[in-house]
Amino acid sequence: MKPHRRPHWHSRAGLLLAALPLWACADEPSPASPAAVTLSQAPILPREISIADPEDPVRDMERVETWTESVANTLYDFSDKLRRRDFLAAEEWLTPGFAGQSWSELALASVKDLSLSAQRTTFEVKSRRIVGRTEFLSSIASHVAPWRCVDFVLWKVKGAEFESKAPLAGKIRFKITMLGLGIDGGPRSLVAWANARVELTGNQWQLALFELTSLDLSERSTALFSDVSASAGVVHTSVRFADVTENGFAWNGAASADVDGDGGYDIFLPSRPQNFLYMSRPEGGFFERAAQSGVAEPAGGTGPVFFDFDNDGDQDLAVADVGWKTDSKVPGGNRLRLYVNDGKGKFTESGAQLGFDALCHGFSLSVFDFDGDSWLDVFVANYGRTDVAPNDSWTDANNGTPNLLLRNLGGKGFENVASSVGLADTRWSYAAAAADFDGDGDQDLYVANDYGVNSLWRNDAGRFTDVAETLGVSDLGNGMGATWGDLDNDGKLDLYVANMSSTAGNRILGRIAGDEQHRSQLLKMAAGNSIFLGRSSDTGPSFERLAPAKGGVDANWAWSAVLADFDLDGRLDIFCANGFITGETAADT
Amino acid sequence: MVASSLDAKQNSSIGMPRKANDSAYLAEQGSQLFAQGMSFSGNERDKLWLNRGADGFFDASDLSGADSPNDGRGVLACDFDDDGDVDLFVHHIQRDRHSLWRNDAATPGTASQHFLKLRLRANSTQHEAIGAVVVVTTAQGKTAQLLARGTGFASSQAAELVFGLGASDSAAVEVIWPGAKRESFGSLAANSRALLVEGSGKSEPVLARPRPLPDSLPQGLKLAVGDALPPLKLLDGQGVEATFDAVKLAAGKRLYVNLWATWCSPCVAEIPDLQHIFERGEVRVVAIGLDGATQRSKADALLRERGGKFTAFYLPDDSSPDAGEISKIVDLDRLPLPTTLVLTPDGRIESIIRGPVSVK
Repeated sequence: MKPHRRPHWHSRAGLLLAALPLWACADEPSPASPAAVTLSQAPILPREISIADPEDPVRDMERVETWTESVANTLYDFSDKLRRRDFLAAEEWLTPGFAGQSWSELALASVKDLSLSAQRTTFEVKSRRIVGRTEFLSSIASHVAPWRCVDFVLWKVKGAEFESKAPLAGKIRFKITMLGLGIDGGPRSLVAWANARVELTGNQWQLALFELTSLDLSERSTALFSDVSASAGVVHTSVRFADVTENGFAWNGAASADVDGDGGYDIFLPSRPQNFLYMSRPEGGFFERAAQSGVAEPAGGTGPVFFDFDNDGDQDLAVADVGWKTDSKVPGGNRLRLYVNDGKGKFTESGAQLGFDALCHGFSLSVFDFDGDSWLDVFVANYGRTDVAPNDSWTDANNGTPNLLLRNLGGKGFENVASSVGLADTRWSYAAAAADFDGDGDQDLYVANDYGVNSLWRNDAGRFTDVAETLGVSDLGNGMGATWGDLDNDGKLDLYVANMSSTAGNRILGRIAGDEQHRSQLLKMAAGNSIFLGRSSDTGPSFERLAPAKGGVDANWAWSAVLADFDLDGRLDIFCANGFITGETAADT
Repeated sequence: MVASSLDAKQNSSIGMPRKANDSAYLAEQGSQLFAQGMSFSGNERDKLWLNRGADGFFDASDLSGADSPNDGRGVLACDFDDDGDVDLFVHHIQRDRHSLWRNDAATPGTASQHFLKLRLRANSTQHEAIGAVVVVTTAQGKTAQLLARGTGFASSQAAELVFGLGASDSAAVEVIWPGAKRESFGSLAANSRALLVEGSGKSEPVLARPRPLPDSLPQGLKLAVGDALPPLKLLDGQGVEATFDAVKLAAGKRLYVNLWATWCSPCVAEIPDLQHIFERGEVRVVAIGLDGATQRSKADALLRERGGKFTAFYLPDDSSPDAGEISKIVDLDRLPLPTTLVLTPDGRIESIIRGPVSVK
């Protein structure tokens, strides 16, 4: 996002108006005439676009990646001009002698029903007309002219190679995405794949040649979900991350339960300077009642969980947080908390009295009865202290804060038994998900770890053994979250793991030669989410990785994922939060 | 950290190795984020994949309406309005922090979108039955869901499982309770809500408690229906300062305030229709052009060429003290065009026409 000082948006776009083919009502000027004027001033265009791979590509990876990032960063502003439909200003990113394949007047290759009344139109892009820069931008404009708004444009660099010889130039592989609302108010998504030749002119990269390799328009008359935050009373805006008043890592989670037993589901959100408790209103929507319910403070925290810790029939609330002890044994940060419900939706924070007040680096809590005594226990997935003792490896970090298993002492308190049951692992854990995956009657636990491999802790009479490697679910990567559900409709639980994938990582790794084992490890680190299908046979339970080509896994920096049947067709779908930190400028580190 | 690319930097074939705990590296990252305001895997939109069985997962993110570019962490999937389908809530780390998305993909209970909502109560173990698996079988096939508490990342779901049944009118329901004991609850009718109590072998009906989630507010508008439009200091077609005063402009009639821009082809196409309404005289019509100030004279010329004879206003230059006036009523970055506000004679918003006006 650009700062919200509004520049001269669309300032010169009017000059292009007559050139837009979609304006060609009977009484409008023909689009051909102004284009012809432009062409007469433009250099002679080639008959076809052919962008060859660099004859002698630069092999120094640091230089290639620096230039790649520089191309990507240059084009953020170009994307923003297109989003604002300031097509004349966008010309600055094209060389005066630019030649490219036009996006307009394309024949339809196919129209595909995507189910749920959505449809995808694929355009025929072979042997397209070659045009100069003004007409090229008009041809993009023609696609969005009937849109009521353009919300998002991104020219994403998916691959890049550069020529060794001067002047500096390269061949770029682009994925171009334009999102907006159509005339009916429904969502529109225009996605193009393309190759381009870029040249460095002064300090700016410019597009010199452009070859369209695919163009698809997806649309639906309404969006699948509508944003009812403001109308339902859950709107809350805070300053951006890294503003002077907001420099903390606020990795706040969310929990839902029927807090007051009225049949509606309420929402708790740890947050600073106060927590939120949105109570469901009988007439619809929510009102905020954190202070009145006793959960506004202590404020902040990471992963919250509602559960009945004392088996008295109401929902109590546990909240994870980040805390530590310094060398002088002075506590820093915040402790774990347990808010006890009085049965009427009023809570009292009682962590200290109940042994639920550890100083640790907890991000997520998972509740399950690990020892089958009918009292619910709590696993705390602990990360590490990046500021004091950063991860000791990118691919096998083992210096995190030990995980906790807080055993419930008959509703009277908790004690950490992680060491004695084998769960005091020191990998950098972000989240966990419990399930009896082997059907032996006790609850097992999958733990997602950052910077390395995940664990599947098999529960054998209250002792845990990591069987992730044996069963093929260790999933090397940056584990961010995990959840269980039946994704292949065989009645058995499958495992969904959220990871990170990285365009930059894949781009770089695609160029590396040499140590094949190391390279394939690194490629796995950059690959994205994973689906492991649960199987069973005479030899016991096993897992089968679903081929990434089947989809469902290509998020970027993924966080919480949920499995739910959103379209009620009998199959579980996947929703996954995505993205690390969106700054004030479009440039990405 | 973008460990994938950083690990690559550790590889000696690429360049100088970068240790994971290299403090200079971490300081550089921190400086870019905090001092320079750069993004770090920013503007990544939330993902929705619809399960299409043998055809794999269809990436419906772009059409979901829930593909926020904000930085989400915790996610809740819950039927908040109890209409039979699963809505979404996402907790973001900054800016618009709370997002609630109502599921409009499903029309629960209709021909191919039958549902079953289940709650559980255990007797032999903890009463919440956390860890129980429910297997639902229809003529189409079977599916299983886990009743868990604390999954995903920093998230905990409500104690209710929503099953889609497609077009099936009933489903056989089996529960695998914590401890692995299996219990059949027989066949349940589609579009019902039930409580399954361990050991009872039959379901207890649960009454629906509809809690409707209201429609979205119009995108990009800062005023709601019923609000009065404040006076705005704008320019006329000649660039002369002109005050937009809704009550004066309405002069005792209803007033159409048409928001448009030259780049918006439906806007230009509807100018003759607006002129037609203007000439009929039952309501008054004015336009506010939202192009940049440098476009003002061209925009006004286009309006006149297309036959628009009604009063037109334009935005002041960015350097003018009045540059922010329009932001009192709209968010220029998000407002879909054309949008026409229908005002009462006393200048309040009576209704909002999204998309072109109708001459009827």
